[in-house]
Formats: sequence, structure tokens, C-alpha cells
Amino acid sequence: MHELRIAEDLSAIVLDTALRNNLSKVTKVNISFGQLIQIVPAIFEFAFRETVRNSVAGSAELDIEIVPVKMKCMNCGSDFQVNENLFACNICSSTDLGIIQGKELFIKSIEGE
Amino acid sequence: MEIKIMKNILDRNQNKANEVRNLLTLKKVLMVNIISSPGAGKTTLLERTCEALGAKFRIGVIEGDITTDRDAQRLKKYNIPIVVINTEGGCHLDSHSISKVLDNFDLDNLDVLFVENVGNLICPSQFDLGETFKLAVVSTTEGDDKPGKYPMLFREAVAVLLNKIDLIPYTNFIFDSFRSDLNKINSQIPLFEVSCTRGDGLPEWYQWIGEMINISR
Ligand SMILES: Nc1nc2c(ncn2[C@@H]2O[C@H](COP(=O)(O)OP(=O)(O)OP(=O)(O)O)[C@@H](O)[C@H]2O)c(=O)[nH]1
Ligand SMILES: [Mg+2]
Ligand SMILES: [Zn+2]
Repeated sequence: MHELRIAEDLSAIVLDTALRNNLSKVTKVNISFGQLIQIVPAIFEFAFRETVRNSVAGSAELDIEIVPVKMKCMNCGSDFQVNENLFACNICSSTDLGIIQGKELFIKSIEGE
Repeated sequence: MEIKIMKNILDRNQNKANEVRNLLTLKKVLMVNIISSPGAGKTTLLERTCEALGAKFRIGVIEGDITTDRDAQRLKKYNIPIVVINTEGGCHLDSHSISKVLDNFDLDNLDVLFVENVGNLICPSQFDLGETFKLAVVSTTEGDDKPGKYPMLFREAVAVLLNKIDLIPYTNFIFDSFRSDLNKINSQIPLFEVSCTRGDGLPEWYQWIGEMINISR
């Protein structure tokens, strides 16, 4: 369900950027979603289609990059990727961690003419 | 032609949430964003909390409800300021709707504002409301696998309240699997094991939330 709201905010940014750059057609939208966000790409794609229908982005391709979760250990300083929800340092086992990536809901760029 | 944008899609929500947070910090009001599945016991927890702490702290409530005001009706008897936000089908509250209703509260005369979010474990954890912290409420009847299925919430929350422990004998809930699942995701998070109907474990919750309110005053 939250896919719809996020798609609405995304299409507002896309259409606004297209307008300000005089694009008559948006061909591609490049976004990245962190794994923690639990977005289902197929549902998101569907929601996005609905929100841009009959606009300059109506036929834009959506490129969704899923970003794995990476943390930094505050104890020993190492970086590691979180697998199977294990939020503990793979070197020293510390659970004092900072997030590096994995919570993104990010628009990188749009392409068009 | 490629046009770089490089920004958070939920920027609008985030900016408003930052405004709300600044205002509440200025007014020294603690805001708790309560997130759970439907029926986990959020409203019952608020009822018990109003009964136990209503004389000690000035409590306000924002009820996020899809279409009704039933939860707000249940809290009326505590004579506290309550505002209902109907999300009209939406699965979560956002910072704009919170910001709008803050005008209805006398923030200078409030210690804590509890926000009962819409029952859902995924969507609400992605929309910052400007809260001081998120509280995750889970109940034993939902099964012991919730932390592993919804890691974002259990990472983002500052405390977890496990409700309906009185029903454990009638379910297949295994406390140790719940605890070890939660430990993998967030081993430092405080866990309150309670029964909001029978009262088990609630004194520890009152003590903790009281301390949190005092810290922000
Ligand atoms: N046995 C038992 N039942 C409980 C407990 N806490 C709440 N309930 C019952 O669970 C049901 C749902 O409780 P609510 O407090 O309405 O749950 P909620 O999370 O506010 O529900 P929504 O707002 O609909 O998402 C009610 O019938 C409560 O009486 C508990 O600790 N033990
Ligand atoms: Mg409720
Ligand atoms: Zn380490």
C-alpha cells in the first residue's frame, strides 16, 4: 500500500523536473530502494504507471536498483553487509552499529528528450 | 538527455517531519509514534497508560484511524485532548497530517503526545512523523516471527512492547525464538513483556515511559 504514496511523490518530482527542463518526453526514471524498505518492485511499478498515466512520463521505463543493507561497526570500524537480518559486526560481534546504506528511497536521475 | 536529481523521494514528508520535531523539542513535548499490526493492543495500552499516568503527566493522543473514531471514543473518559486523523483508506500517517492537527493541542500544557498509527507493520515505519521515537507493539497471537519479517521497524523502534502474554498458553508463540529473532536485529532494544488486559509487566512500562517523559521536559 505505501507503494502508492511513494509512487505519487516520485511522479511529482519526475513531472516537475521534466517541466523545468522542457522535456516533452521522459524515457527513463532511475531510482534506488534500500532493502530495508521492503518495496515490492512489481507493485511499485504498477503504482507508478497509474500516477504518470497520460503525462510526459506515461511511457517512461522505471529502473529500480535494490541497495543491500550495509553497516559500520562503531567498535572496530569495519564495514559489512547484513545477511539474514544479523545486525552484528562480522569481525568483533559488536552490535553498536551505524547504517551506511539500505534505507534509501532515492531518485537518482531521469532521462528524456 | 539525463538530468541528475539525487534526492530522497519522500523529501516533502521529511522536511515537514523535521519542522514538527523542532517544534515539539522547543515545547518540550515527547511524541511517541506507536506502530503495530491491527489489533495488537495499541488502544488498550493507551487506556492503561492514561489510567496509570494521567494524574502525573499531561497526556495527549492523536488517533490515526482509517475511517472511524472508535478508538478515540474509548479514550474520551480520560478527559485528555484527543484528535482523530482519518487516513481515508491510507495505510499510514504522514508528517503533513500531524503538523495540521498540532494546532489543536495546547503544546505549552502537554508532556507527552501518543500517536496511534494505522495498524500495519511496514508502511508506517517509513514515514517520519517528527516523533521523538517509535514504539513497536506486537502481540503473541500474531506469531513469534515478526521481527525477522519486518526488520526495518525493529531497527527503527526505540523499544518493543510484546502484548497479550496472557495468551501464550493458547498459541504456538515461543518466547525464545521471538527473543533470538529480535536479538539478531536489535540486541540492545528494551523489551516489555505485558498483558494490557491482565496487567502483567505494565509497571515496568510505566516506569520507563515516565523516565522518557521526564528526560524531555
Ligand atoms: N487477551 C488479551 N487481549 C488483549 C490484550 N490487549 C488487548 N487485547 C484485546 O485485543 C483486542 C484489540 O485491542 P486494541 O487495543 O483495540 O488493539 P489496537 O492495536 O488498538 O487495534 P487497531 O486500532 O484496530 O489496530 C481487544 O479486544 C482487546 O481487548 C491482552 O494483553 N490480552
Ligand atoms: Mg486501536
Ligand atoms: Zn566490529
